[in-house]
Amino acid sequence: MSGTSGAIDEAARTRGLQKENHMTTHTTPNAPTSGSPRFTSGALVTLEVRRALRNKKFLFFSVIYPALLFVIIAGGADSTTEVAGTGLALPAFMMVSMASFGALTAVLMGNSERIAKERQSGWVRQLRLTSLPGRGYVLAKTASAAVVSLPSIVVVFVTAAAVKDVRLDAWQWLALTGAIWAGSLCFAALGVAVGYSATGDAVRPITMILYFALSLLGGLWMPTTTFPHWLQTLADWTPTHAYAALGRAIELGGAPHAGDVVLLLAYFLLFAGGAAWLYRKDTLKA
Amino acid sequence: MVHMTTTETTAGTARGTAAEAAGSAVSFDRVTKAYGDVVAVDGLSLDLYPGETVALLGPNGAGKSSTLDLLLGLRRPDSGTVSVFGTGPREAITAGRVGAMLQSGGLMDEVTVGELVRLACDLHPRPYRVQDVLAAAGIAQIADRRVNKLSGGQEQRVRFALATAGANDLIVLDEPTTGMDVTARQAFWATMREQADQGRAVLFATHYLEEADAIADRVLVLHRGRLLADGTAAEIKARAGARKVSFDLDELRADGAAAVEQRLRELPFLSALDLSGHTVRLQSTDADATVYALYGLGVHPRNLEVAGLGLEQAFVAITAAEEARSA
Repeated sequence: MSGTSGAIDEAARTRGLQKENHMTTHTTPNAPTSGSPRFTSGALVTLEVRRALRNKKFLFFSVIYPALLFVIIAGGADSTTEVAGTGLALPAFMMVSMASFGALTAVLMGNSERIAKERQSGWVRQLRLTSLPGRGYVLAKTASAAVVSLPSIVVVFVTAAAVKDVRLDAWQWLALTGAIWAGSLCFAALGVAVGYSATGDAVRPITMILYFALSLLGGLWMPTTTFPHWLQTLADWTPTHAYAALGRAIELGGAPHAGDVVLLLAYFLLFAGGAAWLYRKDTLKA
Repeated sequence: MVHMTTTETTAGTARGTAAEAAGSAVSFDRVTKAYGDVVAVDGLSLDLYPGETVALLGPNGAGKSSTLDLLLGLRRPDSGTVSVFGTGPREAITAGRVGAMLQSGGLMDEVTVGELVRLACDLHPRPYRVQDVLAAAGIAQIADRRVNKLSGGQEQRVRFALATAGANDLIVLDEPTTGMDVTARQAFWATMREQADQGRAVLFATHYLEEADAIADRVLVLHRGRLLADGTAAEIKARAGARKVSFDLDELRADGAAAVEQRLRELPFLSALDLSGHTVRLQSTDADATVYALYGLGVHPRNLEVAGLGLEQAFVAITAAEEARSA
């Protein structure tokens, strides 16, 4: 059989080459493989953002819900009494908490659940059969989460200013927005790590536990000053605590404390490193 | 010769690697992949060429899916090398030379069919127009429908559209017509033929053997991770032992039937003989010679028919023979 199949190979090859030659005159010219780098991830980012903005449940929980919680918690509080040991009145204190909480919801939930579900459905595998660089997927997920987290921050701010008369300098509003938005990247990385370690069924409970623990211990729902001492000590080391502290320092008119920035950065490196490791592991076994 | 020179120049400037000059689209060189104790692919070597439509056959667990995964760089071989157009699979995919449709490939949900196909076109380095891709896959009329609201057959077509969003040189399809009805299946293969006619290599795994018989100009039979047969469907059938010969023989009803039967059993190139009443069914590795010898016996066969084995029977015969040999 080897003789005949050799002849077939030869025939097919010649036929292929003829057709290929014929093709090049008709279709778009072949792009050189090492051509100008294209921002291929852009197309996926656009579609992910569009999809996120279409998901009403996701939008409610990340954009409307934090502002609603703010009104419920800070609504009855007067604007002069300080939250013990913080130098901030309750509305201002809760504004940063809820803005941070909203951003956390958007990026953590957005990344972890989607990634785990799409790994299970095989969409991640399908994407690996396109020109999209592997990290493009994670990038697109994070970018779309960030697009939703920005309005969730702004809506809390607007609500606080309108309902509870929170007043800050223009630079403070901008710095707050920037700090809370940038800080949310830490939790976006955590979301990616969870998405690549959990299965489609387990991802929701795992995310919820992390989400509640981080929100509660970080003092996003109530000041940690009300905690017993041992819990306060533990809370001081959570990433969410450092995250909310960035905003509070800005509200007090200063720069974020170096200690908080370093802690948050350390967590970011830990989460991002873990996410990268899990991603690579997942890629190898597909 | 003149023609060859010009094509080589074209190919050389446009693509230009050593393996290109040899013309192979896909090359497996002694590739092995095991999962724990299970050897899924066992020292597999094969080459596919542009313009070929190749069917990959094998019983369940023969290593078809693993072979496709290795070809597409979704898994790495334990040993040996896989090259696609002279580079690694991942490089070939990044360069937009390979389109693939996997059974395990999912779709992004909560978006429309049109949006998803647009994404595939946007991601492809040499994309076709979105409308053309939709039309070719027969899904233009459902472009506005949400992906999570599709039937199984429609999902398959969307997967096909994703695999053909740009000018690929190799298309890989894993059980592509699963979930399609007969009409959809025919339409699908018509589209696929067009792709092959444009000079692409098409490799498909299937368990519909009639599809392989009708579509493929080359058939690969995998068994326990090894290549058991490689040739045209006709060659595979020939290799399986052959052709069927059947006839009626009145001499079997007369006296001396036992002697006639004995002489039938001594016919040359016989691989199987089945007598029922006066009807004789036999398989022969050289039907011409067997029939010639049959007339030489001085008997008078009636209703003589000579037919080839179907690919399905051939496939079963080949894998069963291998199973028996390795047992």
